[in-house]
Amino acid sequence: MRAIWFVSQIALFGLIASRMMSVPNYFQYYVAGLSVMTLYSAAIFIGFDIYEEAEHGVFEYLLSLPVSRRQLVLGRSIGGGLRSFIYVGPLIGVSLYVIGAINPLNFLVALFALFLFSFGVSGMSITIAVMIKSSDRFDIFMGVLDALIVRLSTAMYPLAIVQSANPLYGGVASFNPITFAADLFRWGTGLETIITLDNPLIPLLGVIAFFAVFTFVGVIIYEKHIEGGGWQ
Amino acid sequence: MKAILHILEHDLRNFFRYKWWLVGLISMNLADLFIMAIVYNRMISSDVAKQITSYFNFFAPGLTVTGLFASAFMIGREINMERRREIHHYMLSLPMTRLELAIGRVLSGGLRGMIYMSPLLLTCFVFLGFPTVAQLLIILIVLFFLAIGISGLSIAIAVSTSSLEKFITARGLVYYTLFFCSSVFYPLSLIQDLGREGKFPAILVNLAEINPLSNASDMIRSFLLGTPPFSPNMILSVIVFSTIFTLVAAFAYIEIIERT
Repeated sequence: MRAIWFVSQIALFGLIASRMMSVPNYFQYYVAGLSVMTLYSAAIFIGFDIYEEAEHGVFEYLLSLPVSRRQLVLGRSIGGGLRSFIYVGPLIGVSLYVIGAINPLNFLVALFALFLFSFGVSGMSITIAVMIKSSDRFDIFMGVLDALIVRLSTAMYPLAIVQSANPLYGGVASFNPITFAADLFRWGTGLETIITLDNPLIPLLGVIAFFAVFTFVGVIIYEKHIEGGGWQ
Repeated sequence: MKAILHILEHDLRNFFRYKWWLVGLISMNLADLFIMAIVYNRMISSDVAKQITSYFNFFAPGLTVTGLFASAFMIGREINMERRREIHHYMLSLPMTRLELAIGRVLSGGLRGMIYMSPLLLTCFVFLGFPTVAQLLIILIVLFFLAIGISGLSIAIAVSTSSLEKFITARGLVYYTLFFCSSVFYPLSLIQDLGREGKFPAILVNLAEINPLSNASDMIRSFLLGTPPFSPNMILSVIVFSTIFTLVAAFAYIEIIERT
């Protein structure tokens, strides 16, 4: 389903919308952003797994395993991130083919940042799932969050244009993890002329901070909420 | 007639059980309009700007139609679930004819689409200006026909697919083909230009031209923005689509649901 969405976004929306835009190479720009959007939505899915496990009693089994709570949540967020990366990997391959140019060294740095980004998104999804405790509310919340976090980022448009459209949107987009990941991915693929990324270290630090916060906050919240059936 | 009203009541009650889900969906639609469309306003090329003036104004009617599409399509998911959980046996045991049952389901899907779409249409009027009474009536009637057609299409897919995965995959294919091969997000002329240059398959260009989503969006635009010019074909396309899929859905619902 996600593959259909991805391909139709490239072959239909991306191709036609790029004719409408004054941004040069918008098609390549959009395809790179699309890869990050897809990675984000795939990494979010670990939160839905938490509910399914709770519903089927797998949660108790996991808690009974000889691993600490910390190891459990860390393993889950890394596992969720890796899983989404494996899933989205071929789609990223398609987007690299479409974009064409690639800078190997930069791309390795960007790939590392994308790994951290997907682990961070998984950690965020687990944290929110454990806090909300209702799969319906989680579904709604993540839908709204997805709408805001993706649109208020540089996944679909360059930061300078977001800032000129609305300074508030620009402010949010400047500190958005999707912006960091999308800009690094474009930098890694050699599209930096469009994104005017002054210093790739800033988004890289942003992605590391996002990963660290959600992994460690996730551990604390997970530990607090699961004991004594608190997750139910 | 009374039986159809019962079915409508049943499906509308089900619809309002998901009120928070609907609020979430509306907020996503509004994020598209108030964030994405506002930023895209700054990005459109001068050639396109001459045609549509403002992307926000251009997109608002398209968004109304996509909202209508998504909500009218929801009935299919419920019918697919009923089939998988064998609730359709209960539905078939109700004291009403199969035709009443089928018409009731198609109509309720359409009504649900209209209810969901109303705040989006109102937002569109607030920002783009209100149509005349006659134009408003035409818009509502055409959108209702469109909603029934979408509901019929969704029911036809729901009863023809045996698992949720197959339904979701089929829904994805229909969604993205109809959404992206239409003038919901971009002017039809861009798709036609790509077709003339050989960069877009002719069949998809033709689909975009006859797509009821294109025609419904363009009809609202023609009334509220004055461009593209109004054509009776816009209404005709929606009515033909609606008639075909209402009949197909009723037939498929009666035939397939009895067989399983």
